[in-house]
Amino acid sequence: MRTDERLSAVLESVRSSGAGEAEVFHKRGRSRTLRRATGGDVSSLRQEEGWAVRAGDHDRSFFYAASGVPEAETAWPEPGGEGLRLPEAQSPPPWTAPDDLDSPLLAENESKALLDGLARELDRELPGAGLVQAFLEDGSSEQQLISTLGVRARARQRAASLFVEARGARRRGAAVSLLIAEREARRFRPQAVARRLADRLLIAERGEAPDRDRGDFLISHGVLVPILARLLGLFVGVEATLRTSLLTGKRGRLASRHFTLIDDGRLPGGVFESPVDGEGQPTRPVTLIERGTFRQPLIDWRDASSTLEASGCCRRASWRDLPRPGATHLYLAPDRRAAVADLLGSLSRGYYLLAADGAVRLKDGHRRFAVPVSGFAIDGGRPTGSVSGAWLTGSVPSLLSGVVALARDLTFVPCGSALIGAPTVLVRGLELRRRL
Amino acid sequence: MPFADLDAAGIARVLSQLADQRGDLADAYFERSEEVELSAVGEPPGLRVRRESGLAIRLQRGQETWLAGRDRIDAENFGDAVRRVARALPSAPYAQPDLDTAPWREPFDTEEVLAFPDLLRRALSALGTEDLAREVKISVRRHRRWLRVIGLQVSSGVERESFYSVTALGRSSRRGALYPLLDESAAEALARGLARDRFAEDAPPPKGRAAACVLGAGAAAVLLHEAVAHALEADILARGGHPEAAIGVELGSPLLNVFDDPQSAPESVRRRADDEGYPTLRRCLLRAGKVEQPICDASWSRRSDLLMPGGGRRGDRQDQPGPRSLHLELVAGDQATHQLFADADGGLYFPEADRGHLDPDSGHFVLGFPYGLRIENGTPGSAVGPCSISGHVSEVLGKIDGLGREAKPAGAGWCAKGAVRLPVWSTAPALRLSEVEVDPR
Repeated sequence: MRTDERLSAVLESVRSSGAGEAEVFHKRGRSRTLRRATGGDVSSLRQEEGWAVRAGDHDRSFFYAASGVPEAETAWPEPGGEGLRLPEAQSPPPWTAPDDLDSPLLAENESKALLDGLARELDRELPGAGLVQAFLEDGSSEQQLISTLGVRARARQRAASLFVEARGARRRGAAVSLLIAEREARRFRPQAVARRLADRLLIAERGEAPDRDRGDFLISHGVLVPILARLLGLFVGVEATLRTSLLTGKRGRLASRHFTLIDDGRLPGGVFESPVDGEGQPTRPVTLIERGTFRQPLIDWRDASSTLEASGCCRRASWRDLPRPGATHLYLAPDRRAAVADLLGSLSRGYYLLAADGAVRLKDGHRRFAVPVSGFAIDGGRPTGSVSGAWLTGSVPSLLSGVVALARDLTFVPCGSALIGAPTVLVRGLELRRRL
Repeated sequence: MPFADLDAAGIARVLSQLADQRGDLADAYFERSEEVELSAVGEPPGLRVRRESGLAIRLQRGQETWLAGRDRIDAENFGDAVRRVARALPSAPYAQPDLDTAPWREPFDTEEVLAFPDLLRRALSALGTEDLAREVKISVRRHRRWLRVIGLQVSSGVERESFYSVTALGRSSRRGALYPLLDESAAEALARGLARDRFAEDAPPPKGRAAACVLGAGAAAVLLHEAVAHALEADILARGGHPEAAIGVELGSPLLNVFDDPQSAPESVRRRADDEGYPTLRRCLLRAGKVEQPICDASWSRRSDLLMPGGGRRGDRQDQPGPRSLHLELVAGDQATHQLFADADGGLYFPEADRGHLDPDSGHFVLGFPYGLRIENGTPGSAVGPCSISGHVSEVLGKIDGLGREAKPAGAGWCAKGAVRLPVWSTAPALRLSEVEVDPR
């Protein structure tokens, strides 16, 4: 029996049980992983398949998920607890599937060659440096969803991620780590990754922290993305309007006029690019902050109103999971005219911060932040020394309204189930400290 | 019982074709799991059920491992997984073991899950916290798993686990807990915890200072898990050298006798074999404060005669097993509770810990507490807010200078290592630390 026939049979079975409106979701995927650590290499080929039903009415509902092929002859749970609403069918705008969705997964020898190459390049960049651990994953999946409300949706995805932890020549020296994602693993460039790791290891070894200093800060995506990820709650859900209002300045602006924040589930070239979300709702770009002014939060169809426009933003990490509203590709719009070198050259005195070396801390109800960082001290547009073990700190409003320029190097980083992106930005009004 | 009738001999024959070089390890892992969840009010759908089954074939040769996981148990998927893992074409066609497993048609038995929120509310009302009983949002999950491992060297019987996880959201607190049984005593324990959270809600954190601290059984269990169990997992030790080099090293106070013993865990999660099919053992991690035996899985145990398997755990069939504790025991001491407090007068009492972290490279250790109580005139008194203790792990463990007389089940929780979340259980007495640095959080 074909999958769509099985889904229809399941839907009919659920409908016959009297459970109310119903939806059936099916996902199948393959992934190759390679984990390298002190214990050796673990190569894994995963084939996953599962399906899930949501069904209910205004008073009661259930969720049932199982591995394997959809089975119409399932004893459905008795609905209970809360009622359930399901979305109506909507036709997504035309979308062309990118060619690389069909590219084959990395073979075992290719994945080993990639990590071997990365280790070689790292040693070349910084003699004696090596990988402590690495985890490479390359996968593809397809999903289907049908419902009693007429939703009929299909989507395919291709995603690869690479996590590496590296240490310098000294055995007990500091370790640095990096997590990157692409649509396919063949796009990972060992030389570029090795260079980034080597730079950070050198900074960690040689860097110092100023007692306390203010100035201009050139902040790369390595610092800004973790901060945006930590502030995600400000932008998702209807309550976000109230939360952001507490940070809005006297002129009604949340951020500087250079700051435009967008979420786009169908971002061309995005790793999670898809015409529909995990509920079969059409994805589209949503501008959350436009030139500093908060426009609306990221909401799904449940919270849509005359003033709040919904987008398909409910994601399911796997067939086991319920769809949850959240970011897909959330990014700070870059300035395509400016290179990082231009911003660096304009920095008469300040810091160029490359990476967050720990978790972002928020205090005072999201009003203040602090994050451990590393990078370079800058004078006359040139690096004059390494900085590490320092805390970048300030108020969240100061960070958002202090952005005075952006570069064009928009880079996405995996953050939980989303990808968050930022270019390098020039910010004023923050502080660097040795201790909090 | 699922997997009881698997064709173990037929499966072992296939594995012997797979493991065609001297020293190879090969096994087949079969798993069935179920999760029944009652979500909190306001979070549809109300009742959630997840059922899955699958298998994984593993081949280990030297320091390399190949793993193929599947989400169905049948001959086709078994054969495909074997072929994916094989390093060479077999000299004869692979045998076809009988893998008929009966369809999973047992009805959903949700009585105790559905009943628990009312049980908890009654327990809260009995404590005089009716407002908490009205406002608390509760979600409850029952977790069940059956597994069987068949290998060349091992063939375990069917192992079964069953436990519950509960999350309770108060007005300004969030409390999670694991229980082997969901009964009145679980409800009472959770109610007492929520009531304490309310009591300490607005307490300011203490000023940073050195203080003697008494850790309740729950806090002691988290300390042990983070500072001893994780520190002695073979893969963590390997970051700094050979794991067996840790044997004999003094890690903490001579009062510390710590075991990992899956066979004395609460009955519903007790294990006779680990997730690689090896017999579990009462593994002495620390004897009089010195390392006796690291926690090892099959892979690490093969590297040295000094290391023993039986400590391998895996999140599910798609994961590679790794060393992890299951049930930690700290042998009780000889001090009555009032003695522990008396010798820590002026210090702080922490009934529970909510987080702990050990940096395996530097040895820096932090243990966080959601609240504490000042020890005033030898008894716990006024509350202090969130704080933590920190230091080098051997320094912190070396400060243990008193152990309570009564070890009890405490501190059960989720352990996330490498994004694989597993339940861990403990039995511990209260303990006292002589002067440690306490910092506000």
